[in-house]
Amino acid sequence: MKPPALRELKLRAKCAPDLVPAGLMHLLRMWTLPWALALLAPSAAAQQPKLLEPERAFAFSVQAVDESTVEARFAVANGYYLYREKLKFSVEPVALAAAPVLPPGQMKHDEFFGDVETYRGTVAIRLPLKGSPGGGSVTVKAESQGCADAGVCYPPQLQKVTVALPARGARPGEPVYATPPKKSWFN
Amino acid sequence: MSRPSSRSTWVVLIVAGLLALAAGWYFGRSGEAGHLPDPAGGKTLLGVSLPDLDGKDQALGQWKGKVLIVNFWATWCVPCREEMPEFVKLQKEFRDRGVQFVGIAVDDPAKVKQFAAELGLNYPALIGGYGAIELSRSLGNRVGALPYTLVLDRQGRISRAQLGPYKSADLRDIITQLLPKSG
Repeated sequence: MKPPALRELKLRAKCAPDLVPAGLMHLLRMWTLPWALALLAPSAAAQQPKLLEPERAFAFSVQAVDESTVEARFAVANGYYLYREKLKFSVEPVALAAAPVLPPGQMKHDEFFGDVETYRGTVAIRLPLKGSPGGGSVTVKAESQGCADAGVCYPPQLQKVTVALPARGARPGEPVYATPPKKSWFN
Repeated sequence: MSRPSSRSTWVVLIVAGLLALAAGWYFGRSGEAGHLPDPAGGKTLLGVSLPDLDGKDQALGQWKGKVLIVNFWATWCVPCREEMPEFVKLQKEFRDRGVQFVGIAVDDPAKVKQFAAELGLNYPALIGGYGAIELSRSLGNRVGALPYTLVLDRQGRISRAQLGPYKSADLRDIITQLLPKSG
């Protein structure tokens, strides 16, 4: 099985330059060689891991639940985490009716800061509004700070979303993203 | 030119296509490939002046001619804190050979002062505040994360850029390469 197949392949490889116009062959070599080298070389790629922009690593969205409640949500990308105690929310033009209740996070032991709570995956926080801005809209500002397991941290980030509040008894609104999710073939 | 009609031609073309796709995937995945900042960005960096812990402005240009390692960091950044003891060691080891470390803190002076004392920091800590993130972005830090470290050669060109902590051995190799060969 193996020897004939191998021989055929070798033969074909040997013939190839004669069958392909020399100019085209040259062009192909010119193109494939750098690519092949680029693939093999550790180059700058090794120095910088692929990292997301903070607004994508910690995607912030807000959904109006009813006329006086909104839900703030962080979709934390795989391999990233947010610090629970660094999360801060504010709303405009109305105030918060009560301090937001942050769900418990995952304990992470830190050699400098001791045990800290972190969020991975999705975290949703209900924000009760003090009254309702009469069929209007509300702007939610979130400050967050997080890191990537790859060994980098992002500076505190301020994200802002404005949502329309539904009328009393109406259906909840759709989530509104601070940065629209990006679609790509390779992600 | 004759038509590329043979089967071999197609094989070669398909292989080339697949290779290009693989390359596209690879670089799409690794993202930062080839994103070494313009070496001339060193000029920008050497033109920067920032206050030190005593509030005195320090021009980075004063260290031109040395192998200069500029580290963007913050006290709230654990990976930054973790790699800094290695910088302290390397600074001590290479001080007499024309190597200078400089930290630019994305932070406020009180916290930096405290951490510098705890660590026994033996190189300047300059206070950059959040504006330093923008400076680092303009020098190749695409996502604005920390730690971000630039290594300038003795001609003041950016020779290396690293997002995330340096392995001490790697940085030592880089420094050694950039120093004149000693007898």
